[in-house]
Amino acid sequence: MAHITINQYLQQVYEAIDNRDGAFCAELLSFKHPHVANPRLQLSSPEEKCQQVLEPPYDEMVAAHLRCTYAVANHDFVEAYKFQTLVVQSFLRAFQSHKEENWALPLMFAVTLDLRIFANNAEQQLQKKGKGQPGEMMEKAAEQLMSCFRVCASDNRAGIEDSKKWGMMFLSNQLFKIYFKINKLHLCKPLIRAIDSSNLKNDYSPAQKVTYRYYVGRKAMFDSDFKPAEECLSYSFHHCHRSSQKNKRMILIYLLPVKMLLGHMPTPQLLKKYDLMQFSDVTKAVSEGNLLLLHNALTKHETFFIRCGIFLILEKLKIITYRNLFKKVYLLLKTHQLPLDAFLVALNMMQVEDVDVDEVQCILANLIYMVSPDPPDPMGVH
Amino acid sequence: MCPAREMQERESQNRLHHFEMLAGTEGHRKPRADPSRIVKEYSRPAAGKDSTNPSDLRPPAVLLKTVCYLIDDIAAAPALQPWSEVYSFVFDRLRGVKQDMIIQRVSGTECVAILERMVRFLIYASYRLCGEPLRLYDPKINETHLQENLSWLLDCYASGTGPHTNQDEFQALGLLYNLGSPRAMQHIMELPEELRSSPAISLALSVNQAFLERNPVRLLRLAQKLNFLQSCALHRHLVTCRKDLLLIYSHGFSSRNCRFPLDKLCQVLALDWSLTTQLCQTYGVEIKDNHVVFTKTAFTDPEQGKLQCLQYHNIVEEKQKDLTVRSIIHGST
Repeated sequence: MAHITINQYLQQVYEAIDNRDGAFCAELLSFKHPHVANPRLQLSSPEEKCQQVLEPPYDEMVAAHLRCTYAVANHDFVEAYKFQTLVVQSFLRAFQSHKEENWALPLMFAVTLDLRIFANNAEQQLQKKGKGQPGEMMEKAAEQLMSCFRVCASDNRAGIEDSKKWGMMFLSNQLFKIYFKINKLHLCKPLIRAIDSSNLKNDYSPAQKVTYRYYVGRKAMFDSDFKPAEECLSYSFHHCHRSSQKNKRMILIYLLPVKMLLGHMPTPQLLKKYDLMQFSDVTKAVSEGNLLLLHNALTKHETFFIRCGIFLILEKLKIITYRNLFKKVYLLLKTHQLPLDAFLVALNMMQVEDVDVDEVQCILANLIYMVSPDPPDPMGVH
Repeated sequence: MCPAREMQERESQNRLHHFEMLAGTEGHRKPRADPSRIVKEYSRPAAGKDSTNPSDLRPPAVLLKTVCYLIDDIAAAPALQPWSEVYSFVFDRLRGVKQDMIIQRVSGTECVAILERMVRFLIYASYRLCGEPLRLYDPKINETHLQENLSWLLDCYASGTGPHTNQDEFQALGLLYNLGSPRAMQHIMELPEELRSSPAISLALSVNQAFLERNPVRLLRLAQKLNFLQSCALHRHLVTCRKDLLLIYSHGFSSRNCRFPLDKLCQVLALDWSLTTQLCQTYGVEIKDNHVVFTKTAFTDPEQGKLQCLQYHNIVEEKQKDLTVRSIIHGST
């Protein structure tokens, strides 16, 4: 396979399309498959050959793919991205003409995945040369993926089995990856709405659902909707394949802070298992009511927490830490009426700066408000 | 500041603003334009309209001069009244400036200098015109433009080669204006440590932290340390902040026998005696002989429009002291 000639390759593509063998088609156009390393296929102008064997628009798609392998072999990702765009565009034309059939979905997954990866690589290459706006390539790739998404989402005529709607979750996952990377989270909302209102939403493959919920959870977290965030991320964590330790760790980075905000602290064993010791002191500080340790732990791992985008969420743990600290004051004094000064002493001990009795009153009032039967937001944060 | 073609057109169509008329011709049937005072107006892009004609566009240096003219001779001119009209004129002409900038893809120091002044102007306006009737000042439109200019400015800081001497000022203003917004906070967190620890930004971060912890006492206390323009940026959150305070105290001190001293409440709210009383009444909080009686059931949200932010401006007002509009917008605070 790795050393076939161009004619053999084209013949295989022809047969795969003819047999509507989506999986094999996908292999033949994917950069995960070894044929892309075959120098006999890396051609700078394969158009004519492709036209001889394949019907339009498949000829264009395959020609663009081969030129793309040529560009990748030369480490020119800007060029590769350009041709991969062409691949996706000609694929989409073919795909739209497939009425009431969806055999080409695996092919779509393969070409759109490569498109995102090349956009990413191209952008890095441009950035190194100091050219191009950050996010520009990724945004263009997102537009392409969106046009695929629209084709899939609007396939209302076909029966469930043959529906192109089965492609929606894969595409939204790819789009999420881009939107999170270029910091345009508001664009996730219409995708989530489309999937949520689809009757297939529980029947996608487990892998797709894990990725999907991971991003939906992170988005909810960003919007401070902690309850749904916890549900989504827990689902992802429990359904993620046990061999994907790296993914499980990524999920935990977001699941842990949310769980902690809701009052569940992780065990040291868990933190150790997933190499997340950065959270260890934070956990300890919150459960002990140790504001000073919390402050120090956040400062120490600041870079890590900021990079993951969870620093501000961890800062919200301060409120729970106040509660645990004040509970200790109560346990020490063992009376039902506590002087405010006692709390002030506790805060001063934790080196909380320029705090006075007025503020102690305010902090206490807020804690009481948070546990009162009907506060609008149980987390106590806007 | 205005293309010759537009000047003739507006002269003949009688569409000159009276800030642009040649002195002495205002009373005429067809007033003449004063070429040194007429400024290109904003015109909506439309199909078939060519807005890229070089003779209609002003280069960056001219744009900056235009902005300075709008500040020095219009916005800061005490003779021009009422200020809401000054605002609507300057707002429209600044929008025109921005349009020229976008068409030409202006970048660099002039772009930053222009955007900084626009942001200051819009922040100041959001405070000065607060409470004006909707036909004179629309807070929503003002905010949209402010956010757009601000995010463009922050992009300039991120991509341009410095030095940007005012960067800390505007990063702080952005956070104070967008207090509690995850986007704004994440943006600040990603700034280099050195910038983040500048006095202006650390103060803004502390204010933000107090807001997140719902600690209005601390927030209002920190607000006293802000300068005038920073207070203007923060001012739209002060209503929420004081409401939060009354809300949580209504729960925390909810007891029929509990009496909270009114003086103390005045002090933490940073309001005088009569305004505190008025604010309490608005939220249904009871006051009995110089004491406040908090009960959680009594707290009610006021009807829309009953609470006027304008009346509670003292905390910002005090800071203006002898600052002139000119120095506020040019930035010498």
